[in-house]
Amino acid sequence: MSLPVSQMWAVASYVVKQRLAGRKRYPLVLMLEPLFRCNLACAGCGKIQYPAQILRKHLTVEQCLAAVEECGTPIVSIPGGEPLMYPEIGPLVKELIARRKYVYLCTNAILLKEKLEAGLFTPSKYFSFSVHLDGLQEEHDEAVCRDGVYVQAVEGIKDALRRGFRVTTNSTLFDGASPLRVREFFDEVMSLGVEGMMISPGYSYSKAPDQEHFLRTQRAHDLFSRVLSNPKPRWRFNQSPLFLQFLMGKRDFECTPWGNPTYNVFGWQRPCYLLQEGYAATFKELLETTRWENYGRSSGNEKCRDCMVHCGYEPSAVHHTFASWRGFRDTVTATVTGRY
Amino acid sequence: MSDGTTLEGWAPEIGRGVSLDEVVDKAFDYRGNVTVVKTDGSETEGYLFNRNADAAVPFVQMFDLNGAGPYTIAYREIRTIRFTGRDTAAGNSYAAWLRAKEAARSGSAPPKGV
Repeated sequence: MSLPVSQMWAVASYVVKQRLAGRKRYPLVLMLEPLFRCNLACAGCGKIQYPAQILRKHLTVEQCLAAVEECGTPIVSIPGGEPLMYPEIGPLVKELIARRKYVYLCTNAILLKEKLEAGLFTPSKYFSFSVHLDGLQEEHDEAVCRDGVYVQAVEGIKDALRRGFRVTTNSTLFDGASPLRVREFFDEVMSLGVEGMMISPGYSYSKAPDQEHFLRTQRAHDLFSRVLSNPKPRWRFNQSPLFLQFLMGKRDFECTPWGNPTYNVFGWQRPCYLLQEGYAATFKELLETTRWENYGRSSGNEKCRDCMVHCGYEPSAVHHTFASWRGFRDTVTATVTGRY
Repeated sequence: MSDGTTLEGWAPEIGRGVSLDEVVDKAFDYRGNVTVVKTDGSETEGYLFNRNADAAVPFVQMFDLNGAGPYTIAYREIRTIRFTGRDTAAGNSYAAWLRAKEAARSGSAPPKGV
């Protein structure tokens, strides 16, 4: 794991506080979507298919900060849409850093060089670009349905690193991915000098056009086992090692759908980042009125049956770390040895 | 949603083989604008982004064509919902992208987004 110590400490102390307070359900990462508009139209994405008047809408900085304050997570992830198209992205990030929130700006990096040159951001231990890369050039360009994006993303990563920013990558692995190519991809990404990688299997959005390409559970376990069972020492992952073991089929967790709550122009999304079954006006309403028992594998909900996505299971892994000495020991062991 | 499956253009009559709850659920899932026809004869056109059938007074919420709102409309005020806007999720499949890419490689039309 490659997280800065201060970030690990912030998360650990937050989780311990929640547990000491006896909170059964608490969020870990706010998924803040200030807009749905994007400069790509990836086949696997169900986030951007809206009428024009919805794509033109975006949250105000004040709305974003109110949501951050309301749910209180130590980490704020800004996906979208493409957040670099959000006109207030610079001021928003500045305000979040001032509040000592650890910010991951999830971007396809097409606009990254331009925004860096414009001086929109300042390096900070609280701020990381999380660049979307779904594989080497051929695989990534195919996943985002546009040639040349991989090259742009790599240029953006290099530029951000040169300017002293924290940079991570986020990758969705789809059905049919070659373990060898994925391993080559990890080598390539680490050679760029990024802080760490985040990986997750794809999820079958009901709105995503590509229904057949998402990983089923067993195939996902096989793929991640072949990719991760003999990790190279230079590989660094910016996520819980227990979640990686879960992806490999070495552990079983139940989903924590409230772990990464999502706020966007429609409000607080029920029940999670991936499923859209309605919206609540406040975070409190989301927590108190969502029928959580209807979600997760044990619920029998077919929409949850094959889901292994980070937004539901990484919070489970983090919770497990702090739920027992054994969980803590296993996390420390995997972190220190780099073996999953 | 696959290329061939869309509710675009559907104008159901509530009670004729389909209930209001079913139509509201389909409108909620629909990725295009709809027209909500109220019992008083007035109409509101826009994107229906929320519905709550479990509330004390079940309601839908929508933004109009200018993005203004959200407007809240009780189920009991709705006569029907017409699927009047383009389905933005239809006709945009991964298979279509691969076909376009193949066409581009063979020298014909460029792939979408390029």
